[in-house]
Amino acid sequence: MNVMDRNLGERLAEIKGAKMIKSFCYTCPWQCPTEVFVRDDKIVYQKGNPEAPNNIGSRCAKGMASWYVSKDPDRLKYPMLRTNAKGEPGQFKRISWDEAFEFIAKKLKEIADHWGPESVALTCHHDPNTVFYHHLLKDLYGSPNMYAHTSGCEQDRRSACLDLFGHVFPMHDFANSKYVMLWGMNNLGANQGLWESRALMEAKAKGCRLVVIDPNFTETAQKADEWVPIQPGTDGALALAMCKTIIDEKLYDEAFVSSHCEGFTGFQDHLSEKGYTPEWAEDICGIDAERIKRLAREFATTKPSMSAIFKGSGYYTNGHDAGRACYILDAICGEVDKPGNINLKDWAPLGAPVNIPETAIKQPEKEPLHVAMGYPLAPDLPNSRLPDAVINGHPYPIKAWFVHASNPVMSDPNRERVQEMFKNLELAVSLELYMSETSLECDIVLPETSFHEQAEIRQGMWLGPEVILCQPVVEPVGEAKPAYEIVKGIAQKMGWGHHFPYEKWEDWGEVAMKDIPMTLGELKEKGFWAGEVRYNRVPEGLPTASGKIEIYSKNYENAGLNPYPEYTDRTVIPDDEYPLQVTHSKLSMHCNIVTQNNPYLMEVCGENWVEINSIDAAKYGIRDGERCIIESPKDNIEILAKVVEGLVPGCISIRHGHGFGHWAMGSTAKGKGAHSNNLMDTHTNPVTGANCYNECKVRIRQAI
Amino acid sequence: MQHGFYFDHKRCVKCHACEIACKTWNEVEIGPRWREVVKIESGTFPNVKSMNVSMACMHCGDAPCRNACPVSAITKRADDGLVVVDQNTCIGCGFCSWACPFNAPQLSAQAGKMEKCNFCQTPGKERPLDMPRACEEICPTGAIKSGSMADLSNQGRERAAERLSGADMRGFPGIVVGAQEQFGGD
Repeated sequence: MNVMDRNLGERLAEIKGAKMIKSFCYTCPWQCPTEVFVRDDKIVYQKGNPEAPNNIGSRCAKGMASWYVSKDPDRLKYPMLRTNAKGEPGQFKRISWDEAFEFIAKKLKEIADHWGPESVALTCHHDPNTVFYHHLLKDLYGSPNMYAHTSGCEQDRRSACLDLFGHVFPMHDFANSKYVMLWGMNNLGANQGLWESRALMEAKAKGCRLVVIDPNFTETAQKADEWVPIQPGTDGALALAMCKTIIDEKLYDEAFVSSHCEGFTGFQDHLSEKGYTPEWAEDICGIDAERIKRLAREFATTKPSMSAIFKGSGYYTNGHDAGRACYILDAICGEVDKPGNINLKDWAPLGAPVNIPETAIKQPEKEPLHVAMGYPLAPDLPNSRLPDAVINGHPYPIKAWFVHASNPVMSDPNRERVQEMFKNLELAVSLELYMSETSLECDIVLPETSFHEQAEIRQGMWLGPEVILCQPVVEPVGEAKPAYEIVKGIAQKMGWGHHFPYEKWEDWGEVAMKDIPMTLGELKEKGFWAGEVRYNRVPEGLPTASGKIEIYSKNYENAGLNPYPEYTDRTVIPDDEYPLQVTHSKLSMHCNIVTQNNPYLMEVCGENWVEINSIDAAKYGIRDGERCIIESPKDNIEILAKVVEGLVPGCISIRHGHGFGHWAMGSTAKGKGAHSNNLMDTHTNPVTGANCYNECKVRIRQAI
Repeated sequence: MQHGFYFDHKRCVKCHACEIACKTWNEVEIGPRWREVVKIESGTFPNVKSMNVSMACMHCGDAPCRNACPVSAITKRADDGLVVVDQNTCIGCGFCSWACPFNAPQLSAQAGKMEKCNFCQTPGKERPLDMPRACEEICPTGAIKSGSMADLSNQGRERAAERLSGADMRGFPGIVVGAQEQFGGD
């Protein structure tokens, strides 16, 4: 019996004396389908769903340890209302759900009357069932400002994919690839699509060449055939120089670019006019011109191939064009959406869980915040500009903020400015599992159920179209409620209860599933629905202005920007006083800010650290395993130092910088490691609105 | 027939899922770590190499922990070669952990007894040997395999496995590190 045997779960359930339920994990946004083993209202084991293509039976450490969340004594149990003045660390009293719903509904009505519904915003990180809040606050209430967390994540990638391909989140078909070039992408070291990790390792075993371009010798770089230690924030220069080599040496796919790409000839001229040669890029990137040419030739002549980014090429004010340039490599080589390329995956025809009739939908009068702010191309809210709206009323006032399953006080750069916002809000609602650092700033804190205690039906993060189901497997902690019950409760107080007619989750589940060729009953048995994996959608026409891959971006032209990617220096450059560049990378055994109260994960990794090259360590007197002080012009932190070889000298790498140093959340998380986000000032990518976490210079010394 | 693990360091991405799966299945408290992934780095910038190894009890042929145990709490099972500890006999002296070259035996502060990887044979939760171990089952990249040494020898990396499990080899470890012979040499 091997790991993919579909009957393995049943046999394990017998051994454990447990019931096995198909579900999915929402510890991180990759959402692996699972088999959860439950005995006496307790999760006793979990494994991957062996039939699901997302993870083929496997799990990650975070997912395996996630059972703890369902029984964590530090979880929020009751709705809590602030009793002291805004701006101070919150003191709260327990209230009933009825009081909570009444409080929120009353405030929402006042704000709509006074400021208009557009002055309400919602952001989320983990977006479990956030769609229900959207139905309430967008459709019925009339706010256009329903946002997620992308500006703290892969905003530049998302923007590049939308502008070039009209696709929000391409997947990676590593399994069929012969040459994979990853730019600042640590897919084997951070949150990971487990099917992608396995496919990449299996492709490598079959001879696929992996090139990782990154200042950090990341977990992914460790598996690479070639690590290219690039200077931070210069990916755009390297990618443009590689494009020029490929074009000059006529290694591009002429038939593909002439049929399927917009603006190839203009791009060729643009590269020449700007002088984006390998010799020009050499000093900027710290990579020999000959090596740049060799990499370009290898990439263009080894097929199928893939040039892909995630976060690392972003996080700088030049990240938008760096992202576009990295994907243009795919485009000019004709390597888009074929087997072994980035894949413009289809989405499943999953419906909304409730039907709000057209007549009940309130159209906002104001533009969405990101457009009014001057970021029309931002695929999500430029989070770092939200304080302008809340504190200064620019471009228009935001008076209420619903913070759903996210913790912007810790995750956004410039923590002090984020905290300052809350004094200016008339209503700040935290929808959370824990009394988080953000909850502490809010007026009212509502305990949501974890994914183990609620249902959810959503798009799967796999190559083909997919629907995945999360089922409630244990009873809620305390009085915690799932989003669909919280929304219904508020809606009833607003007079909109009839729009949320469900009594149990299966009622809205049936509605959402109506166009999926599987019944809800079958979905409960199987855990997922997967459609056909497709390729070669480029000739069918893409949802871009031209219907083609837009090397010449119509979106950029419309926004008054250069339609072709340019290279500009990042904004913050180290100097004599602050000689080191900050970079970041994540850890695989923690997810962002959400897993640090889990003692099983904290046993594996109980604090974060900074990595520094041995050359710099000698220069600044930093010793491996000891504590150091990192100082930026704005703030300083004390943090564990690790002296490494795998890092470009002149950089430091803060690992999981904003996930540790909790001052709230829970007893296990509190006080472990250092929170690094207040080192950074506010820097916003001028086009995509991304948070520029790496726009930060520091100096470092040993802690006394 | 001797059972053991096969580990392919080339596939391991140090995600630590194996550690947590082991803990969850065998209901191990915080503290003892029956399995642990370690990273070994070498070289100087920019020529750096690293290797990840997921370490647990090797179920050695001539187990030093068994030989060191003053109360004979550690036995090597005749039919499957697994090295197991009898918690009722163990006095928690820790000699075994001194003797073990892999730091596999872990002292439980709670119970005051030694515990370690038992190949998912924790009483009441025994996984039949025809099933994958929890660590193997969970591994995203398929880096860990378990089974009889004969079967493992037939799965990939055959020559190295054959050599290590040769019948005349005393003290052969119950693990086959599926690697090129010299670390880092590609």
